[in-house]
Amino acid sequence: MIEEVLAVILGLALVSATAWLPVKAARILGALLLAAACVVVLRGKIDSLAVVAALGVAIAVASFRLPERVLRRLCFVVPSLVLLIFVTTLLMYHAPGNPFAREKVASPQIEAALRAQYGIPKSALQFFQIYMKRLIVESSLGPSVKVQGRMVEDLLRPAFPVSMALGLLALAIALALGLSLGVRAGLKPRSVADHSSMALALVGISLPNFVIGASLMIVFALKLGWLPVAGFGGYAHLVLPSITLALPYAAYIARLARNGTIEIMQQDFIRTARAKGMPENVVILKHALKGAILPVVSFLGPAAAGIMTGSFVVETLFGVPGMGQWFVKGAINRDYSVVLGTAIIYMVLVTSFNLLVDLAYARLDPRVKDGR
Amino acid sequence: MYRTLLGIIGTLAVLFALVGLCFSSSREKPADFRFVNGSEPASLDPHLVTDQVSNRIVSGLFEGLTRKRASDLAPAPGVADHWEISDDQKRYTFHLRANAVWSDGVPITAQDFVYSWRRVLDPGLGSEYAYLLHRVRYAEAYNTFDGLADTLEQTVKPALAALRSEHAGAVSAALWQRFLAENQLHLAFKHNQDDRALTLLHQQEGPLQSSDLDYFDAAISKLASALRKEAAEAREHFGVDAGIFAVDDRTVVVELNTATPYFLDITSFYTAVPVPRHVVQAHPHDWFLPEHMVSNGPYRLAAWRVNDRIRLVRNENYWGKAEVRLQFIEALPVENTTTALNLYLTGQVDWIPDAYPKDLAQQLAQRPDFYRNPGLVVYFYRLNTTRPPFNDVRVREAFNLAIDRKLITDKVLGLGQLPAYGFVPPGLAQYVPPESHIHLDVERAKQLLAEAGYPGGRGFPKIGLLYNTNDQHKKLAEVVADQLRRNLSVEIAPYNQEWQSFLVTCRAKDYDMARAGWNGDYLDANTFLDMWVTNGGNNQTGFSSAKYDALIQASADVDEYLTAPPSVLAELKDQKGMDQLRRQLSAAPTPKEGVEIKKKIRLQLQQEAEALLIQDEFPVVPLYFYVVSGLVRADVRGFYSKLQPQTGGPIPNLLDEHPLRDIWRQESGGAP
Repeated sequence: MIEEVLAVILGLALVSATAWLPVKAARILGALLLAAACVVVLRGKIDSLAVVAALGVAIAVASFRLPERVLRRLCFVVPSLVLLIFVTTLLMYHAPGNPFAREKVASPQIEAALRAQYGIPKSALQFFQIYMKRLIVESSLGPSVKVQGRMVEDLLRPAFPVSMALGLLALAIALALGLSLGVRAGLKPRSVADHSSMALALVGISLPNFVIGASLMIVFALKLGWLPVAGFGGYAHLVLPSITLALPYAAYIARLARNGTIEIMQQDFIRTARAKGMPENVVILKHALKGAILPVVSFLGPAAAGIMTGSFVVETLFGVPGMGQWFVKGAINRDYSVVLGTAIIYMVLVTSFNLLVDLAYARLDPRVKDGR
Repeated sequence: MYRTLLGIIGTLAVLFALVGLCFSSSREKPADFRFVNGSEPASLDPHLVTDQVSNRIVSGLFEGLTRKRASDLAPAPGVADHWEISDDQKRYTFHLRANAVWSDGVPITAQDFVYSWRRVLDPGLGSEYAYLLHRVRYAEAYNTFDGLADTLEQTVKPALAALRSEHAGAVSAALWQRFLAENQLHLAFKHNQDDRALTLLHQQEGPLQSSDLDYFDAAISKLASALRKEAAEAREHFGVDAGIFAVDDRTVVVELNTATPYFLDITSFYTAVPVPRHVVQAHPHDWFLPEHMVSNGPYRLAAWRVNDRIRLVRNENYWGKAEVRLQFIEALPVENTTTALNLYLTGQVDWIPDAYPKDLAQQLAQRPDFYRNPGLVVYFYRLNTTRPPFNDVRVREAFNLAIDRKLITDKVLGLGQLPAYGFVPPGLAQYVPPESHIHLDVERAKQLLAEAGYPGGRGFPKIGLLYNTNDQHKKLAEVVADQLRRNLSVEIAPYNQEWQSFLVTCRAKDYDMARAGWNGDYLDANTFLDMWVTNGGNNQTGFSSAKYDALIQASADVDEYLTAPPSVLAELKDQKGMDQLRRQLSAAPTPKEGVEIKKKIRLQLQQEAEALLIQDEFPVVPLYFYVVSGLVRADVRGFYSKLQPQTGGPIPNLLDEHPLRDIWRQESGGAP
């Protein structure tokens, strides 16, 4: 127990130490880690010398051409990922139960045979070693115990495009709806438009999505019969789940956009624009909106990661074979490899989207410059 | 700026359309029969699966020597078209059909069965249902003895040494029993003939002498080496010239340890089906995925998209394909019961077994397409007999007498569930439950509680009633706690735990009273009784009775019981009845009649075992027996919610089992 805690502290220290890396070291280390990550992910595709050479060139170019911000982030993310796996393993092993526990107890000999088959020993540290070795040497996220015969990547690979399609659609709906409501409300604070939009947003945030989903299902699928109740197969099946998924995000975006708009409309440059006789709609579209969506943009990073990894409730309600279920089922079943696999995917998505947001921010806001 | 925004949203839409193309391109023919399967099967390897969800699919894919016929679930010819049974019912000779082939056209041979049964019983496979084949000669030794010997030598002996060094000189009986329980030694010594070791196993009082422990240590070593010897013998013979073996390509012989009246039910069960050796050996870990799967049943696996659907297509190589009338079947792993019901109501699926919101049960019961039956499941509370207050049998009996089960089944459940006054659900052919001492008798309950030292509930500790997180369990726990509070003036606090934590707590016996459910694996009372043997993995109450253990052992091996009845069974509750049966047996003119009488002896032993639970010891509070129910379209045929046995009237389909092979649709269009 003590050793485990010490190891975690040491890991945290190492990860935070990457912030003080000198520029040159960060560039080289970042490029090396990028290369390592590429090799692990693309192992199956690396089959000829030409590919290796191309990869080498790409990495070399990357280490010189990529912004330092990106490379430094890599130095931080890769060790964090290892730490994430370690801490998650510890937490899983300390949670009661194990992947082989059922209501009907099997003999200890059967459990031992299964543990050996799946590479899940009784000690967390041994499991961590087996898991890391498999991840690096075989590029595999390990076998699932509850969906036998499949590796975790085989479970997530078909689920990811589904969640992505659903998430992208939901994100588009959330942005369109949230921004138009929010900006409209922010332009005339305390007006009827403001109050009605914000009341709507409050409803969107506070209603749990199983209520929204079930209501939509009753109206559009059962009563009107316009859309299928559940299942997966065509575009029609995506409509209700994506709206359900989008509404809470739309509500949140509306509130952010409203506050951003109110703040920006009091700025001096807006007054200047108005003073020089610019038509109001140009003021809003050309100057105000750009500032108003800044808070929305920073929210989009985590939101995109969250929305694209799916939602357990929406997926089970509408029978959509997406990613969200694995987050919950992995934990409920103590299916260790699934828990780790989803945690890794989520971390990779969150860090990538945050990086994208940081880069976008630098473009949108002149005050944020690369490297500062 | 507006353009930028439109651009972002437009890009998202285009991306979405591109991603959408990936999965909307496949167009399949609609299935003839679709059903909600409740969840995703853990596996489709028939030797590894253990649950009903997997069974529904696997039984459509594979067929054993015999198969279950839908109309009565009785064994009918499967891969074997006929068989002979020896007079003592210990030797079965199965003759395989000439036209039995795998779905890829490879013929099914006797060697395939030998390979498959050796595979199920291979300890490295870790098959949980392998014990169903343990009645086959050498099977148990082949399956478990090496592992047991390993445990004895590598875990138990060091544990014993540690126990002795920690408590030098005097190991108290309580410590000793805990040590035995932790290492499941009662089970390990099941076959041991060593009287002194058996006495030590049941020693409840006084410290153990050093000489006793020496003796026991030596007995463990002796047992381990005996087990190893038997395992080695089993490896040499099982599947070669004993247990199960091939006489020629189309003849399989199976030898049993004891006559087993239900053996043909076991050969119909999915654990005993053949698996395609030529595929399993090439892809040992994922041979059952659609890209590799080869099966021998009425259907083959066309697609398995996790969390979306499993699609079966008729197996054109199946010997009985003329009787298979559906082309495509789809199973949806929908877990949300509201969604399942909506799918049914909008005509998307044709059968939802049990998968509807239970709050709507009484309304749905009015529909003509609703069916229900008593199920082979009992809902009960375990009582922790290892600590106060439930270490006192009077308290356990008092709790059993103070609960109004009828009120619960009528007012809280209301779907025709039966109140449970015994532990084995009704409906099992032949088995007649013993008279129960459990009934509603509040006065007697109060008296018992007073005798136990808690007159009027005074001084009774506040105890917890544990259930796994679920609305239905919560409701029942609150009703039961309320009844006990009013009838016995005792304070019961219901509390819940998440499933895995709940399992751990129950196993560690860290509870007072805990909710449980038990569904029968097969149609015999034994599936409800053998769990209560001392330190059985599913006992979890601490209940231990040498007599009970002996009864279960005797009912598993009637011959052994008849030749040498253990001393604890010298006096049975119905000794007269048993004596009479024994007299009949010695007078039986033919071996065949002898087998019939042995069946009756076995049933009496089982009744005596259940009687111990519900007349004397009360380790549990049985509450009610489940109802299985569901909705199925009116034009679905070959679906028997009431079974029609060839003799006698209709009986309930206790396991709600409907072999896909025999299902078809009347072409009347299944409008909702």
